[in-house]
Amino acid sequence: MSQQAIVQPAPGKPAKHRSLGANIFLQAAGAGEFRIGAVIFVGVILLSIIAPTLLGLSATKFNVGLKFSPPFPVEGWVWPHFFGTDQLGRDLLVRSLIGLRNALMIGIASVIGMFVIGSAIGMVAGYVGGWTNLILMRITDAQMSIPVIILAITILGVTRPTPLTVILVFILAGWPGYARIARSATMSERRKEYVRAAKILGATDLRVLLVHIAPNILPPVAFVAVLDVARMMIFEAILGFIGIGIQPPTPTFGTIIADGTKYLLNAWWITTIPGLLLAVSLCSINLMGGALERSRNKILQGVS
Amino acid sequence: MLFAIDFFTRRLAQGAIIVVAIALLIFTLLRVVPGDPVRLMLGPMVSATVAEETAKELGLRDPIIVQFGRYIGQVLQGDFGRSFVRSAQGGSTGGSRGESTFDASNRAPVIDLIATTLPYSLLLAGLAFLISLAVALPLGIWAGLNAGKWPDRLALYLSSILVSLPNVWLGLVFIFLISAKAGWLPAIGYQNWTYAILPALVLAVELIPVIVRSVSVSVSSNLLEPYVSVGQIRGLTRRRMIIAHVLRNSSIPLLNLLGIQAVGLVLGALFVVEYLFNYPGIGLLMINAVFQRDFPIIQAIAIFSCAALVVVNILVDFASTTIDRRLQY
Amino acid sequence: MSVGGTKILDVSGLSVDLVMSGGGRRPILHNVDLSVSHNEVLGIIGESGSGKTVLSRALVNWISPPLVAKGGKISYHGRNLFDLPPDEMQTLRGRKIAYIGSDPGSALDPTVPIGQQIIEKLRAVEPGISTSEARARVLRVLDAVRIPSPAQRFHEFPFQFSGGMMQRVLIVDALVTNPDLLVADNITQPLDVTVAAQILRLLRDLQRDFNTAIIFVSSALGVLNDIADNILVLADGRVVERQQTRSLIDKPEHNYTRNLIASLPRIWEAEPVTTAPAEVVDDSREVILSVRDVYRSYETKDRERLFAHKVVQAVRGVSFDVYKGDNLGIVGESGCGKSTLSRLLSRLEAPNRGQILFKGQDIAHLGSRKLLDLRRRFQLLLQDPYNAIPPHLSIGRTIAEPLRIHGGLSTKEIAEKVASTMNEVGLRTELTDKLPVGLSAGQRQRVNIARAMVLDPELLILDETLSALDQVEQGKLLDLFERLQNRHGITYVYISHDLSMVRRVCNRVAVMYLGRVAELAGNEATFFDPAHPYTRALLSAVPAIEHKPYDTTTYLLEGEPPDPIDIPPGCSFRTRCPFAFDRCATDDPMLMKRSGEDFAACHLVSAGHSAPMTMPAVNLRGP
Repeated sequence: MSQQAIVQPAPGKPAKHRSLGANIFLQAAGAGEFRIGAVIFVGVILLSIIAPTLLGLSATKFNVGLKFSPPFPVEGWVWPHFFGTDQLGRDLLVRSLIGLRNALMIGIASVIGMFVIGSAIGMVAGYVGGWTNLILMRITDAQMSIPVIILAITILGVTRPTPLTVILVFILAGWPGYARIARSATMSERRKEYVRAAKILGATDLRVLLVHIAPNILPPVAFVAVLDVARMMIFEAILGFIGIGIQPPTPTFGTIIADGTKYLLNAWWITTIPGLLLAVSLCSINLMGGALERSRNKILQGVS
Repeated sequence: MLFAIDFFTRRLAQGAIIVVAIALLIFTLLRVVPGDPVRLMLGPMVSATVAEETAKELGLRDPIIVQFGRYIGQVLQGDFGRSFVRSAQGGSTGGSRGESTFDASNRAPVIDLIATTLPYSLLLAGLAFLISLAVALPLGIWAGLNAGKWPDRLALYLSSILVSLPNVWLGLVFIFLISAKAGWLPAIGYQNWTYAILPALVLAVELIPVIVRSVSVSVSSNLLEPYVSVGQIRGLTRRRMIIAHVLRNSSIPLLNLLGIQAVGLVLGALFVVEYLFNYPGIGLLMINAVFQRDFPIIQAIAIFSCAALVVVNILVDFASTTIDRRLQY
Repeated sequence: MSVGGTKILDVSGLSVDLVMSGGGRRPILHNVDLSVSHNEVLGIIGESGSGKTVLSRALVNWISPPLVAKGGKISYHGRNLFDLPPDEMQTLRGRKIAYIGSDPGSALDPTVPIGQQIIEKLRAVEPGISTSEARARVLRVLDAVRIPSPAQRFHEFPFQFSGGMMQRVLIVDALVTNPDLLVADNITQPLDVTVAAQILRLLRDLQRDFNTAIIFVSSALGVLNDIADNILVLADGRVVERQQTRSLIDKPEHNYTRNLIASLPRIWEAEPVTTAPAEVVDDSREVILSVRDVYRSYETKDRERLFAHKVVQAVRGVSFDVYKGDNLGIVGESGCGKSTLSRLLSRLEAPNRGQILFKGQDIAHLGSRKLLDLRRRFQLLLQDPYNAIPPHLSIGRTIAEPLRIHGGLSTKEIAEKVASTMNEVGLRTELTDKLPVGLSAGQRQRVNIARAMVLDPELLILDETLSALDQVEQGKLLDLFERLQNRHGITYVYISHDLSMVRRVCNRVAVMYLGRVAELAGNEATFFDPAHPYTRALLSAVPAIEHKPYDTTTYLLEGEPPDPIDIPPGCSFRTRCPFAFDRCATDDPMLMKRSGEDFAACHLVSAGHSAPMTMPAVNLRGP
């Protein structure tokens, strides 16, 4: 880099007119890991939309005669139950796909929630500074001092968990992280000359925050939030496993895996196969998120 | 020296406020949720009048803030109260036996319960840190020194895969394959330290990607600092610059990570993993307490883990300012 | 002249290419020949982009991808550096050939004390030296470069040093092994003029004491004039001329050199070009901006004491008036308080004490409506053309922003106003919908100017607005400001460290030192008859190719300004003043009237006869 810095850029090269967010996205989209992730992700989503109707299967219908049917290549599997069936003869593929859909919805909804709340609070704290900053940041300190799981266990363990309470708990646990990032980004942005210039022109604080600062700091944060969707999906599975997530009969990965533990030795697939699907989906999200994070780091550090 | 006194006084005071605030939050939360603790202690069989009397005796009908004040007073003397359901002899008694009165003396003090379970958890967490540092440090440094080349890609793919494995599922797969099928390692419960290996592996899988990413990013960005190339013009070798300067300066983000993220992560994952492996640590105690609505235990563990995080944070920040004197906290 | 000395370094036919990402190659250096003899100081002058940094690194055989050496050889005492095995080159580079770069702040590991890092290097290139011996040697050289209390500073960290002191540390690092060749790449560029002049003087002394040949690379001919025996002119990767310093300046042979010398701004040999009145005599003109005894300080954490704060006094009682149609220049070195003053003037911060009156209104106590109205008439142009414009908005949108903020115009009217303003400042209207990415610094600065001009302000404050631009672009923008002043009757306040620009455009000049105005005078008085020793020191330190009336031996200061946290009693300048006497240690001089509209804060002005020393007469005519 130091070598590049001392060489003047070639003159006459037309600059590309794109926003920061588009630049990050396009650079990430060029990376191999992003493409692999995207292909897998789209495949899994399509599968979860098409497969249940195509195979004509239901997630909740029992068929005791078909119980403990093993998955596809294992001897004794029954068409069309590629993933096998559970102790009640329910099809595991469809149950997993619906679980995936729920997990994804909860993951996305909670990340959007924590992103919006966290960024808003962080930007205000970073911009206003002084006491507001101090108090808000000590609150996030406090919040971050409780492990997510303890908070979730405490709240969900003593109330009745519904999808909404699960999302709310995740938002409650996750916003401080976003507040911190938004705060430090705002603080460094606030010192930049163009913000000073806008204030000298007479722009109000709200206008400076919304028109000038937000479009510059939020896209990079939003891209990295993709990684958090995957994290929240794991948390959702954990809560379901402990029994304080979304309650049966709605299938979630957590409940499916927990059901399977009793039969781990004789019907290992009930636990492992749906978990594998979850892991593959998460991996696709993480590959995309990782690529976005790297291209963000590169662009923000000015290495191109 | 003065700076250290100033630093610790300030930060410990702030930390104490945070811990008290968290304690108040959890305390309030546990008291506004539906469910009367007295019923939990005495079981459904006792009459309403007896329950009411017991509740008054225990101060459960006072305003929350009064109860909290009393609780903090006790905590400051080292008394975290007694379990609602566990007897002093161990094992769970509680409501189902339908005693007519609540005799506090035969319930286990929370502090004793924590003291017996904590060493197990420390063993597990220590083992997990050891394994993950042994794997992640070399891998992260190697990736950071070769940013953009194949070791970097390998580290990226590996950590993307590891971070995608849900710990509950991974634990079950380990139990099934390594313990039940292959019989290499024991898994359920605790008899000797080998019982801690499998759960520690699950924790390590969760920690490794986080450490690898942080180390590789900070090593590669430190490598780009001008002083590294200037150092080579000054007559020092690249090897020397990496060992004496780049790695040293990369340890600050790593310290921060280990302090904040990793300890938080392990604390969180510990509960799940212990539950999964039926490992008799503080996490299993916590999860059982949640199922039995054993509020004193939940409160105490929440306060403990919060205090642990706060203290670790303070130590990490102090270490960082010692390494890099530009940092101010 | 040292032509007869032995050649230390002899470069012939050196060519270096840049390998582009597409695989193409762009030549950076083309067939460069040069040689340096024992004890010689060779200056290399080149504009940015001429390849001088690549050359200076190539001289120590430091060419790394994407740069590749295409041909030529560099012989050091007859041995070609390109043929040396890497480890031999490595020790030679630190030990016999030393290099100092232009960015002292990032040259050392920020987390390790400087002494330790120099010892580390010394032991790496001279294995076998004991730690105590190395330590003693480092301390000796620290003392030789006149770093105060070296034993204590030995243990301090790079961030605790100012730019000038850090550059001295790097000189120690380079000279501690007694090299016979030192390559200094633009080392005075980031420094303030007086500090840079000190470094040059120091380097000259050290060169004599250590017998080191120096290759001094710079983009300023004035700097080379002060230090080099011979000068080599580099343009576009080629050597166009090499001559003895004085004859190069007096009789340049190549066209490029002639143009270069002709375009250099002069301070004493040129007349000011400005539309503002040359001398202010009549007080009846309207005072548009009045700064009255303004103070501003900041608190920082004190690491040495418990729970305590230190107070940094950034601006300490500044007063001046700006008349309508004036061009006031505010000059001073870093830390003198001019950027704080700019924040106060633009009302981004309020003063702790004192008033800033714009047309009689105190800007510190305006309601939001009044303040908005004030901002319309009173604009500030910022220093950095790259950061002052939001990167995510189109150019037209950026220029329209102030109109939108102030409201009252329809979309169509805004578009028309934007177009006419762009036209006025010389921006093509096709740029309206483009993002600022890819604009040159000059174009960006025009966007910046258009954004301020679109509101038709009466007062424009230019905070180092032109310092990021090259001479040609700077000249064009100064012409633009002049045109705008003629057409709209704008008043300018130039905040700058560039004395030659201030000489050119300002009719009045305020010289600041340590948060105070040291001297406030008309253009002629400031440059030809300054009363304050600090102004004279500044003028003596300006790198120039013309004859300077203030020579460095008499006027140049030692040391650096005191810490604004701990300002000495009495006159704050006395610790560096060559003419200080008893009274200066006790009495703090106020700004005193000399004649007409010229003021200076110095006891020598008022005390004239009673002072034990008088400043020597100024030699304006040259030798």
